[in-house]
Formats: sequence, C-alpha cells, structure tokens
Amino acid sequence: MGQAQPIGSHAGEFSWHPPAAPRTRELEVSLDPRPFVTGWNRALGRLGEVAARPIAVGFSTPRTISIPIRRAPIATRSFVFPEPIAWAGESPAAPAKAGPGGAKVKVSGATRIKPPGDVIKLEDRLRYVLQPSLETLLATRSLSFPVRPFPYQLEGIAFLYPRHAAILADEMGLGKTMQAITAIRLLMHSGELQSVLLICPKPLVVNWQREFGLWAPEIPLAVIEGDQPRRRWLWQLSGVPVKIANYELLHRDRDVLEARDAAGGARIRFDLVMLDESQRIKNRGGATSQAVRVIERGRSWALTGTPVENSPEDLVGIFEFLAPGFLSPDMKPRRMGRTVSDYVLRRTKDQVLSELPPKLFRDAELELTPEQQESYRLAREQGVFRLTGLGPSATIQHVFELVLRLKQICNFDPLTGASSKLERLEADLEEVATSGRKAIVFSQWVQTIERLAGWLRRFGPLEYHGRVPPGRREAVIRRFREDPSRHVLLISYGAGGVGLNLQFANYVFLFDRWWNPAVEDQAINRAHRIGISAPVIVSRFLILDTIEERIERILEEKRELVETIFSGTQPHRKLGLTQEELFGLFDLKCPGGPMGVAA
Amino acid sequence: MAGAKCNYALGFLTIIENPEHGLFGGYLILNRAGRPLEFHCTAPVKPNRAQQILYGPTLEPFLFGEQIGQSLLDKARSEPVVVCTDREPVLAVREFTKVPVALVLPPEEPGAETTPGHDASANEAPADNAPASDALAGNSPAVAPPAGGRVYRCDPAHGYGRCGPAFRIGPNRLAVSLLAADDRQAIAERLATLGDWFDLAEPFQRIREAIEEARRGGQ
Repeated sequence: MGQAQPIGSHAGEFSWHPPAAPRTRELEVSLDPRPFVTGWNRALGRLGEVAARPIAVGFSTPRTISIPIRRAPIATRSFVFPEPIAWAGESPAAPAKAGPGGAKVKVSGATRIKPPGDVIKLEDRLRYVLQPSLETLLATRSLSFPVRPFPYQLEGIAFLYPRHAAILADEMGLGKTMQAITAIRLLMHSGELQSVLLICPKPLVVNWQREFGLWAPEIPLAVIEGDQPRRRWLWQLSGVPVKIANYELLHRDRDVLEARDAAGGARIRFDLVMLDESQRIKNRGGATSQAVRVIERGRSWALTGTPVENSPEDLVGIFEFLAPGFLSPDMKPRRMGRTVSDYVLRRTKDQVLSELPPKLFRDAELELTPEQQESYRLAREQGVFRLTGLGPSATIQHVFELVLRLKQICNFDPLTGASSKLERLEADLEEVATSGRKAIVFSQWVQTIERLAGWLRRFGPLEYHGRVPPGRREAVIRRFREDPSRHVLLISYGAGGVGLNLQFANYVFLFDRWWNPAVEDQAINRAHRIGISAPVIVSRFLILDTIEERIERILEEKRELVETIFSGTQPHRKLGLTQEELFGLFDLKCPGGPMGVAA
Repeated sequence: MAGAKCNYALGFLTIIENPEHGLFGGYLILNRAGRPLEFHCTAPVKPNRAQQILYGPTLEPFLFGEQIGQSLLDKARSEPVVVCTDREPVLAVREFTKVPVALVLPPEEPGAETTPGHDASANEAPADNAPASDALAGNSPAVAPPAGGRVYRCDPAHGYGRCGPAFRIGPNRLAVSLLAADDRQAIAERLATLGDWFDLAEPFQRIREAIEEARRGGQ
C-alpha cells in the first residue's frame, strides 16, 4: 500500500502519487461509459476521462486521561476558652427569669462586645468576638436588674468589658456607676476578674456600696477603712473580690501597696483598679496621681464626667494612670482626641436620652443693689491699686484674693447684708414651694450657705457642705427627699458636686459661679439625671458688669475646649484660664508675660 | 490547649462562602449560657474545576459535610449534645458523627408554609408543584412522586445533605437530615432543658464575625 494504482487503459495520464498515507485500501473501479447519443459520431469513438483518488480510512487507538480526585487535608485552627465560673445562686441551666422586683433584660437586642484596637493576639480578639450579645449574657437568672438598662448603657458595658485601659466619660447622670459595676460583674462571672480595687472620693464610698448592693448583690465587698493595722489587714485580705478605698487614705497606705511579701517577691495586686471621679489625678505630679500609679494591676479604668476640666493636660494626667506615656502635653487638642478615641467613651444626654425631660436654663442676669455697688466699687479700686503697687511681685494668689472678695460682694453686701441675688432667689422659691416642688441651691462658700439658711427659713432649708459630718449627710438627703415641708437643699460645690442622686428636685440654682464649667455641670446633673419625670429648671445667677460676667465668658470658652477634644471640632481660639487671663480680669499686665485678654 | 470539657455543650457548624477565597468552615461550641468554649475554623477551601464537574450536585454536601464539617468536628475536645447548622448541605456531616445534627431554619414569615431550608435549589430536579417536604414527609427519602412535585435523587450521599420537614423547639425552627429522621426526637429531648431565650440562629453570626476576624488577622 502506499502507492495508488493506475485506473483505466491510459495509465500514463491517470496515475497519481499521493504522499505516504498510514493505511490505504485499493478499490477496484469498473467503468462502463454510456455516452448520450447525440448523433455526433466522432465523439462516440472517444473514451471518457475518469480520475480516482484513494482515501485513507484511519482507526487510531483512543488515548485516555485520568483525573485524580484528591482529598487534600483541610487546614484548621483551634481555640479553646476557659470555662466560665458559676457563682453561688446561679444556675446556668435555668432559663432567664426576673428576680423578685428585678427586670429581665430582653434578649432580642444584640449589643456585641468588640475587641479594642490594642488587643493584638488573635485568640484574645476571638474570645471577645465570640461572646454572646450582652442581652443574652444578662439574661441568666442571677443577673437580674432593679431596672432595665438603657441600650446606650449596654453599649457602655460592651465598651468597658474587653478593655484594659478605658475612660468612661459619659455626662453626669447617665449611669456610669451602673455601667461599670455591670461590666465588673460580667467579667467576674466569666472568670476574667478575681480582684477589683475601686478608688473614689471619701464621701462617695457609701454611694458605691449602695450601688454595688443594687446592681451586683452577689459580689462581696470590703471597704478599706479604720486604723492603720486594720487597713493593712484589709489590703491583704483575700477572698473579697471587690475592695473600695478612698483617695485620701491612699497617701497614707502607699507603703502597704509598695511593700513586697515576706519572700520579697509579690506585691498586692489587683486584676482591675478603677478610679471614680478620676479628674482627681489630673495633676501628674500630685501625690494622689503618684499613689494610684504604684498599685500593681492588670486593667485600669477611669470614670469621670469631666475628663477635661481646665486644659488638655488634665487628660494627659489621667492617661498617665491608664497607659503611661501614651499622651503628651504637647499634642494639639484635635490630635489628642483622635489618639484617645479607642480608649474614651463619652456620650451626652442629648445624644442618648432623647426621652429624658429637658434641662431648661433660665439664667438670671441681675444688677447689684446700691449698697453692693458701693462696696464693690471700693473693693475693686483698692484691689487694683494694690496689685498695681505690687508691680512685678504681684502673684496669682493676690489676684485670686481680689476675685474672691468681689464675688462675695456679688452675693451679699458685707456691711448691710443686701443682696439682689437673695431677692431673686426668694421670689423664685415662693413659686417652687407653692407648687410643692423641691430646689437645690449651690454656692462656693459655706458662709453663704449658712447665711441663706437664715433668710430662707420659711422654705425649710437643709444644708449639705463640708461642716456637716459625713455620717449625717445621708440623713440630710433622705429628709430632703421624704419630708414635703423641706423645699430647699443648700449645697456647697465641694461637698455635693458629685455622687448625689437628687432627681426628685426640679429646680437648680447656682447662687454663685464655680471656676470651671465641669463642676457646674456636675452640680446641675445632681438633679438632671435618669429618673426625673419633669424638666429641670436651672437658674444661674449672674451680676452684670462685674467679675462674674467676665468669668462667665471664660467658662463658655472652656466648654468649647471639651467639645474640641471629644468631637473633633476646631476651637475658636486658645482657651483656658491662664495666668494672663486672670490678670486680664482687671486689665492688668501679667508679670513676665504677655498682656492678658481683658473682657 | 487549655480549657475544661463542659458537660452540656452545643455545637454550631457553618460554612461561609467567600467569592474571592473560597469556603471557610467554622465550628463554635457553646455552653448552656451561650458562652464560647471552643472555636475551630478552616483555611479557605476551593473546589477545582474537575471536582465541580464530577461531583455535580453532590459537591456541596461533600465539601460542607464530609470535607469541612468532618474535619472540624474531629478537632473538638467537647462533644456537644446537638450540632446545629444553618446550611442545609452541612447535614451531610451526620454520616460521620453520632451526634444529632439540626438545621436551624430562618423564622417563618407570617402566613408562610412550613418549608425546609434555604439551600433547596441544590440537588433537585424541577417538577410541577408541591414542596419537597410534602413529598418527602416521613421516613422514606427514596420515594418520589411519579408525577408532580420535586423529584430528588436519593442515594445515601445525597440524602444526608437534604433536610426533611420543619419542626419547632421553643422559638427555634429546625429540621433534620432526610436520612436521620430519628434525630428529631433526640434533638427535642436534648434541647428540652435549654432556656426559651436561647436563639439557635444567633451563634452563626458570631462565627461569621470570628472567621472574618481570623481572616483579617491572617493577612
């Protein structure tokens, strides 16, 4: 095969040699031409031309391809978490039921715990991501609540829960105490906390005991108090998960906190140290700040409604406790705000409590009585004359003395006792008493409060200030709340500015103004807080054309500073009660500094 | 690995489909209070073209149940009383575990009929009408109606990846594998002591977030 054979009688003409084919078969072809008869005889004598071509018919063996179905091993990662602790009285098998008088948290919400940015290890991050929603966590029998938490409070708890360094800076009256206690409670139930130290101002110790009893009744407490041997014993006492101490005794007990055990190794250590009213440590060099920083701890939390009272340095001071070196005093407010954003949670009532009755400001702009005017003019002229005479040796202390003197005259004339503020207050209190309501009146001075108590006798005034023994203060509040004939509580900013729940009072009077707006806000929020059923009327007394009006302008500027740090807005100008500004109150030049801004 | 074994645990197994990376498996074990005890997840799994062709409609039950599901269940230290899933093909894992496996169905729309889960399009032949659950009610997965209704292929491998009719335990709507109808009774008994507040669908969201967190962390 491979060569085609000639077909027909004229082989020379018809032969054809195709290229070598793999396989061919010869075909015999016989031809019997039958020409069509046309009558053309010559044509009939010729043979027809026929060409034939061999066709190769191939039968190749089919090729096969195998496709293996491999079962590659699946790569997995595994994480195992510690088994949660079951507390006495808790039955994990039991479905959620409200305790007697308690409120079961609705499970339908989904407030989830998110890992903070500074938790790096994947296992730690997943431990938080995989926790159930707070609503689910709280829906076990032992975690019933006296009242159902607000959604924003659950968010606050979810914020604190995973954090080792955190500031809960909600506006006063939003329930920071409850949020902190519940976060501690959950962490204890999950086995992540075994020992907690709470440090608060001394007058608030009782308040915290009461709140723990309300929100976490199953957690045993110990208050560090008594003489030094007893306090030392209490510091070292084990088996009490929460201890409460006050700032004042920390100085005295610093040696206990720094001492190592008999073996020279371990010091007293807490899983969490939480500071209430943490603006107390804003001064980094202060003894209080240094004392809290020596405590060995795992987590550091701070609670404050006023993280910035005077300047951004206040926040730097708090962060020296939370995360030393994290903030620098040189940072611009906006950058500082961005830096701390993952560590600070701040909400205002306007943001989260739209249903809360409003706080209505009804400021009273008054003029001095003629007697006060004369005293004020004399005191001012003498004071300025003295400051001018002191020249470069004039100090801030000299300015403060003059400011305080003038503010006192704005309250009462020192010679006659005349007071335009008192006249206005009496008129307002008539309205309060007639309607059966209650009012709280704040002043900077105990002397002013005592004087007011005399004048306002017909309204049944009660006093709450530094001269009232701590043991009697709870009784004063109780009486004010329960006795319908007691319409007025006279409070000093220093003693009553924090920790008091006076939401049954509908009127707040600031008889004189404090130096920074945060303290004033704290005072107002004693009444304007969760639980109020009617608007709170706030009257801030201000004497026109006096030192009070100038201070008021500075206070407004300080409010803007807080806004700048926590909302990222640009401040209008450099703020704060600087030395220059203090001298500027009297149009004086600051010794060794630039001319202050005179109002 | 540290951690103690829990005497009552619930398993939650799901598969996340990522268009870019493939399939991620996640297995979360919770205690009775809903707190995490263990979490296991897989690296992404991507079937190749040959597998897609050759496994055909059985690919998902194979990947979800046999490959990923079985691998994850084998890693766990605690044995749950029930394994829950929100993906129907994961039911195929039942062939490889003695623990009952429940498919958690989405809440019923008001007025809607009780029908099985959301992966119903896989492994089914088109038919005229009648839902699968009607046709396949009872213990016989192999019986398909001669005319009308959806017709299923029903050899064992396919059957484990398909669910039967829905039923309720507390607020949760569940179904079990067609080839493990007895699981329904076992699941009812084992979940009887669980609080009414326990939403069996909720943990799958946690798994999704955890897989996303693990994926971000691995980048």
